[in-house]
Amino acid sequence: MERTIKKVLIANRGVPAVRIMHTCRDRKIPTTAVYSTPDRLAHHVYMADTAIHIGDAPPAKSYLNIENIIDAAHKSKVDAIHPGWGFLSENPDFAQAVIDNGFIWIGPPPNIIRLLGDKIQAKKLAQKASVPVIPGISPVDNVEDIKQWMRAENVSYPIIIKAVAGGGGKGMVRVDSEAELINAFNQTKSEAQKSFGDARVMAEKYVSHGRHVEVQIVGDEFGNIVHLYERECTLQRRHQKIIEEAPSPSIDDDLRQEICFAAVRLMREVKYVSAGTVEFILDAPNRKFYFLEVNTRLQVEHSITELITGLDIVGMMLDIAMGKKLHVKQSDIRPNRWALEVRLNAENPRNFSPSFGRITRLLVPQGPGVRIASGVYEGADVPPYYDSLIMLIITAGVDRDDAIRVMDRALGRNLRVEGVQTLAPLLLAIIRHPAFRAGEFSTHFIETHMDELITSFRDRNSEDEVLKIAHYVAKISALGPPSWM
Amino acid sequence: MEEYVFVTPKMDSKEILKRVRDSKKVFFTSTSMRDAGQSDYKNRIRIHDLLTLAPLYNEMGLFSAECHGGARWHVGIMNRKEDPFEEIRLLREAMPNVLLQTLVRETSLWGYRPYPKNIIEYAIFRVDIDVWRCFSFLNDIRNMRTVAEVVMSKGKIFEPTISFTDAEWATDSYYLGVVDEIISLCGSTKDIILAIKDMAGVGTTKRIGRLIDAIKQKYPDLIIQYHRHMTDGLALPAYLSAAMAGAKIFDVEEDSLVRFYGQPPILAVEAYFKEAGLDTHLNRSIAEEAVIKVRDWINNYEWAESPFRGFDHTVTYHRMPGGAFPSSFEQASKGNFLDLMPSILKVMSLYNKIIHYFDVTPGSQITWVTCSGIVNKYVKEQGITGVKRLIKLLEKFIFEKNQDFDAMEEKEQEELLNLFKNAPDDFKNLILGQYGRLPAGWPANWVYKSTFGSEWEEKIKSRSDKSLDDVSNIEDLERLRWILKDAIGRNPTDEEFVLYLMHPKDTIEFIEWREKFGEAPLVLPTHVWRNGLKKPGDKVEFDLWGKPYCIELVSIGSEHDGVIHVVLLVNNKTKVYEIMTPQAKKLEKKMAKRQNEIGSPVNGTVWRIGNPERGTLSVGDIVHKGEEIANVEAMKMENVIVAPFDGQIVEICVKLNELVEEGQLLFVIDKKVKEEKHSEIPADS
Repeated sequence: MERTIKKVLIANRGVPAVRIMHTCRDRKIPTTAVYSTPDRLAHHVYMADTAIHIGDAPPAKSYLNIENIIDAAHKSKVDAIHPGWGFLSENPDFAQAVIDNGFIWIGPPPNIIRLLGDKIQAKKLAQKASVPVIPGISPVDNVEDIKQWMRAENVSYPIIIKAVAGGGGKGMVRVDSEAELINAFNQTKSEAQKSFGDARVMAEKYVSHGRHVEVQIVGDEFGNIVHLYERECTLQRRHQKIIEEAPSPSIDDDLRQEICFAAVRLMREVKYVSAGTVEFILDAPNRKFYFLEVNTRLQVEHSITELITGLDIVGMMLDIAMGKKLHVKQSDIRPNRWALEVRLNAENPRNFSPSFGRITRLLVPQGPGVRIASGVYEGADVPPYYDSLIMLIITAGVDRDDAIRVMDRALGRNLRVEGVQTLAPLLLAIIRHPAFRAGEFSTHFIETHMDELITSFRDRNSEDEVLKIAHYVAKISALGPPSWM
Repeated sequence: MEEYVFVTPKMDSKEILKRVRDSKKVFFTSTSMRDAGQSDYKNRIRIHDLLTLAPLYNEMGLFSAECHGGARWHVGIMNRKEDPFEEIRLLREAMPNVLLQTLVRETSLWGYRPYPKNIIEYAIFRVDIDVWRCFSFLNDIRNMRTVAEVVMSKGKIFEPTISFTDAEWATDSYYLGVVDEIISLCGSTKDIILAIKDMAGVGTTKRIGRLIDAIKQKYPDLIIQYHRHMTDGLALPAYLSAAMAGAKIFDVEEDSLVRFYGQPPILAVEAYFKEAGLDTHLNRSIAEEAVIKVRDWINNYEWAESPFRGFDHTVTYHRMPGGAFPSSFEQASKGNFLDLMPSILKVMSLYNKIIHYFDVTPGSQITWVTCSGIVNKYVKEQGITGVKRLIKLLEKFIFEKNQDFDAMEEKEQEELLNLFKNAPDDFKNLILGQYGRLPAGWPANWVYKSTFGSEWEEKIKSRSDKSLDDVSNIEDLERLRWILKDAIGRNPTDEEFVLYLMHPKDTIEFIEWREKFGEAPLVLPTHVWRNGLKKPGDKVEFDLWGKPYCIELVSIGSEHDGVIHVVLLVNNKTKVYEIMTPQAKKLEKKMAKRQNEIGSPVNGTVWRIGNPERGTLSVGDIVHKGEEIANVEAMKMENVIVAPFDGQIVEICVKLNELVEEGQLLFVIDKKVKEEKHSEIPADS
């Protein structure tokens, strides 16, 4: 059944909100932004056609507040809601509330979100669809159960403890020895409660030096499911991805077919609708992969898939939400480029400590092969309450080297952010590292090479240096000469 | 033009010395980049301005440029915020033909304390200097041994220096004895330059000619360089007399830089020598250009000049060295006793008849602190009439009674015995031989009685005349480096470490300053360096690392809550700086720096102090290595703060739920002292 969408509310902020507005603009669909008190002057608010205040700074009072968002949707007379990524994007209660209030939900149906959001259920479904899974136990109530499971299934350290309701790298702790187990268990429970309101945790075998490969899936209401090939998301810090690329340099065509079809098999099993991603851990030397989880939403790194396939995934989500059939068949989808994405987080590049404050200068990279999704503008504040992502920088080229070259130019010559620190020096150091260039890396790449990466930071450039000089000029102009002069 | 460049840093040191020795000409060393700026401008002249002379020096045909060492080193770090290593690099690039010369205080190098052999070696090996002028304020040549060895083993030119003054005990035979010691230390007359350092400018025409003649009679091969200040107003005739007697190299500065206490004017000296029939080696037309070049910037330093201007022939009594003139007046001015200067200079001239050494660093500081202390104490207790009485008393003691203590009346003896009661520690160390052997013997016993009271006999027994080279031990460089690393929070470079070895406290401040304000000291012109930009629209343009930059003032706000907002255009882009006034600075957040200070790893909220097992921790609690002592939450991620070692909490610097910055000080922990099982053994102090 075809439905029309005349106005969309985007239940998000920053980069995801801005990204979705881009496609809505393309489709001439007006948008409504929502904002918390500190986001009153945020970039996404100005990008939208209208904007509605939904509460105070803490996410629970604004971007996670279902009632306020539904109210905003009524007030702004939208007919559809897109959740972006993060916040409520994988919350089935929110999806249900959207539908129950007569709005179109731009995403997978609530029952599918619920089903796949439960990691225990998802694992069972994967097994049913003949997709290999990692040994694990869930949920676990105490440390003894974990120890017993490890003995019973002959699992050795390291293991990982994570929130059953988790995702996005939060509420996950790696455990290397029994001595760390109790602290890790308690920390995960505490973080799980804080982040997801659900303290249940699970334990799994940790695949050392594993690679993280995921497959983009899109399905319509008519049971058509296609994959848009894979993405490599191995480069992480604290389990959060920071550099992604497509295609994956870790697999050959045979393995690529195998993984992509495993993902399609699983999504067929659940009759998946809209865009979603099946994540795998790849044990590259043994050419083995294990199902990890399904993300029932648009992902941060969807843009690289868009660049290599030429498709607009947000546009496809809109079409599917309007009840249209997929306009592409699997055989139409032929990637012909290589794309790289870096997440420009407002963080200290040496220790990842969040860096908030006002962006006093912003020069955005330009030139051939660069695509930018920015959640901020020059003068914008980066508040301490939310995710530290301020900009996605995506580059494309005919092959991997070419895409990396363009990224090097974008990060090294074009980009300038003043007022907050960003990961840019680290990102540049990574893409210049010989192991990265050779495609030889694991999820530990950053921890393993951190000292080396830091020493290769260009610690001084004349742009930074002149600001120090200007600072001196400002000081001496305001205060006069020091006593010795 | 090329013919004027007759020695370059690329040449072997023996070759350089041979060329000078074999030449019939007289040569010049420019001291403009070091001593000249010290004697009249308190070392405030910046490398930014001095560098404008470098391309001219490169063609001028100088023997060398003294650009390094002495107090310029310390003032560079402390005030000008210039790194002496950086200065050398800039000068090398701008004048590759010129020999760079430093001035070192034997075992104290560029610092104020005697260093052990391993530090002397470490430092000298890292400093790229061609000519090493080395003096001892006691003329204790034994103290030069390590410096001589290291410099000569590096293949650089060693220039041992005799400190010169005019006193009844400082006879020609005394100086010849010093030269003998130098020759025996260095092994040959051909591998060194001998300098005569007339740091106060007191050598009379006849006296200096006679001395140089005596040295040349005995050592005809020796190259002699005469260094003299102009304080007495008689420098030029003294120079001519020295040149006639055979001195080969003379220290000069640009005529336009000359004030009163530095070195003689280059053009005048050259013309005077020429008229007298001497052949000088100097590209005069380029030297004239340099004189003009100085006028571009010298007026920016009027504020740095000595408050008393003019020659001072009474220097022949008080002997204050040219280099100490402006800084002594500055201290007197800051201490509000400028009016006492004539009395202090008078007391100095009497003091140096009682205790014999040379008034040059650190001796000049000892003289100054001791004498200005005595005068200030008298003024405080007895007024200016008391000072006049003291001067009369000393004059009677010295001139009438010929320093015969017993010949003085009992009351006068009592007063003399009070003279050095409050003398500074450096004075005490000096008369106990801790700096080396005094040049004309120990002072009379009453000086010890006056200084040490009832302990005087014991102290005299502990007096030593060993050389510093014999007594100084090896210091643990790794430990010192670790202390610096701890203070600045990163590994120091070798150069930073050398700075630290010379001036520990000031180097730490210098490094922090430069991390904050970058290369401001190198690129800003002096009027902006000193005053900033004053009116909206005022701007400063400069090149930085090969690119042009412009900083323009838009506005300076008024003070509000201790903060002044300054709006600048940096390359046409608006930039707002919040400048904290000195009061506001006191409220700044403290950062963890030392090993025993625990900082926050992230920006976030301290939501727990302590851990679930123990509950909240407080000051005095013992914590164990690896134990969680706090937890900081940032963007929903918990960050565990653990104790890095066993210890006791001495300070908790944050409150629960306080928003903290990355690096902000959370705890101060004292390393736990191991249970003292041997506590019955008392410590020895």
